Amino acid sequence: MKDVHFLRVSSRQQKRSDVSARSSQTMLRSIVLNRSVQQGLAAFARQNGLAPAATQVRSVETAAQVKDGGKLAETETKKVPRPYSPFQDTSNWAEYAVARLDDLLNWGRKGSLWPMTFGLACCAVEMMHIAAPRYDMDRFGVVFRASPRQVDVMIVAGTVTNKMAPALRKVYDQMMEPRWVISMGSCANGGGYYHYSYSVVRGCDRLIPVDIYVPGCPPTAEALLYGILQLQKKVKRMKSLQVWYRK
Amino acid sequence: MAKFFGVDKVVRFFQIVRDNGGIRGSLRALYRRDELKSGTLIGEDKYGNRYFENNMHFYGRNRWVEYADHVGLDYNASQVPPEWFGWLHYKTDLPPYKDPSRPNYKWMLDHTENMTGTRDAYMPYSTTRPKIEAWKPK
Repeated sequence: MKDVHFLRVSSRQQKRSDVSARSSQTMLRSIVLNRSVQQGLAAFARQNGLAPAATQVRSVETAAQVKDGGKLAETETKKVPRPYSPFQDTSNWAEYAVARLDDLLNWGRKGSLWPMTFGLACCAVEMMHIAAPRYDMDRFGVVFRASPRQVDVMIVAGTVTNKMAPALRKVYDQMMEPRWVISMGSCANGGGYYHYSYSVVRGCDRLIPVDIYVPGCPPTAEALLYGILQLQKKVKRMKSLQVWYRK
Repeated sequence: MAKFFGVDKVVRFFQIVRDNGGIRGSLRALYRRDELKSGTLIGEDKYGNRYFENNMHFYGRNRWVEYADHVGLDYNASQVPPEWFGWLHYKTDLPPYKDPSRPNYKWMLDHTENMTGTRDAYMPYSTTRPKIEAWKPK
């Protein structure tokens, strides 16, 4: 990404003088070095139709609807049914078959996400609540297991201290593939209240890769349940067999 | 007498099946929502979600939403717009069309669902220089 930026800029600037090109490059470097800027710009470019995709088509549609008035827009949005599978762009029968197999695999995986109880602080109380009858997580096939060998997802609930860090990493390493991590609460997301403490890891994503961040201090049981549902959606998008087939 | 022998439960079951559109409709509703209920239709928002109430069920389960048909199994709690959120969560007993004191300004944005995971997802970015230098492992 960075190289592409440089190439574009340098080729454009060579027509002028070398000095100005160098100065513009150094100026650009200070911007481009920030990784989040790149991601943001990429998203910006995607949303504004620089990449030809469904977004562009939709913007055309909305423009037509605005002309005719709001009532038509409502009926128009109603008519587009959403398919179950996120893999719709299959070009031949082999890709189709692999995509359907992936759907089946993901359906099985997202229907039985077994979490590891990694309760570290007060968030663990909310994690107990979603196991209780009111927010009954068992209806989504989510069952707490006590052993990392039997689980798919780890819910890091609470402050990760420096002393706990090796244990967290070891438990994560003991989990079977595929594995996911839900970071629950401010402390696990980024240190939270204890961000400047001498003995606290500033977010459990410094130790393990995190899939879902649930904000809150502590998050409600509803919020955690929503996080689990978002993780189910993420599992639904996994392309394990399709990636194997592409290889 | 019918109540004594519990026949009214059977009658209610068949009534619920009828309200959900017969056996096939009931099976579809069960598959999509994991429960079979029938209640009075309180309203429908502009996204096609329908809101029901049946006070036979206890508090907490007596109000529910049936998500719009076109979303299929891709429904999501963030598809409920804020005007119906209050009614659904017992902040108010008045549905939005009966409540005169709802704020309604022209600068208010249209509701969107949570776009996380799609290409419309919000991606924040900073325009200031980073204060820290990232470690690049070689």
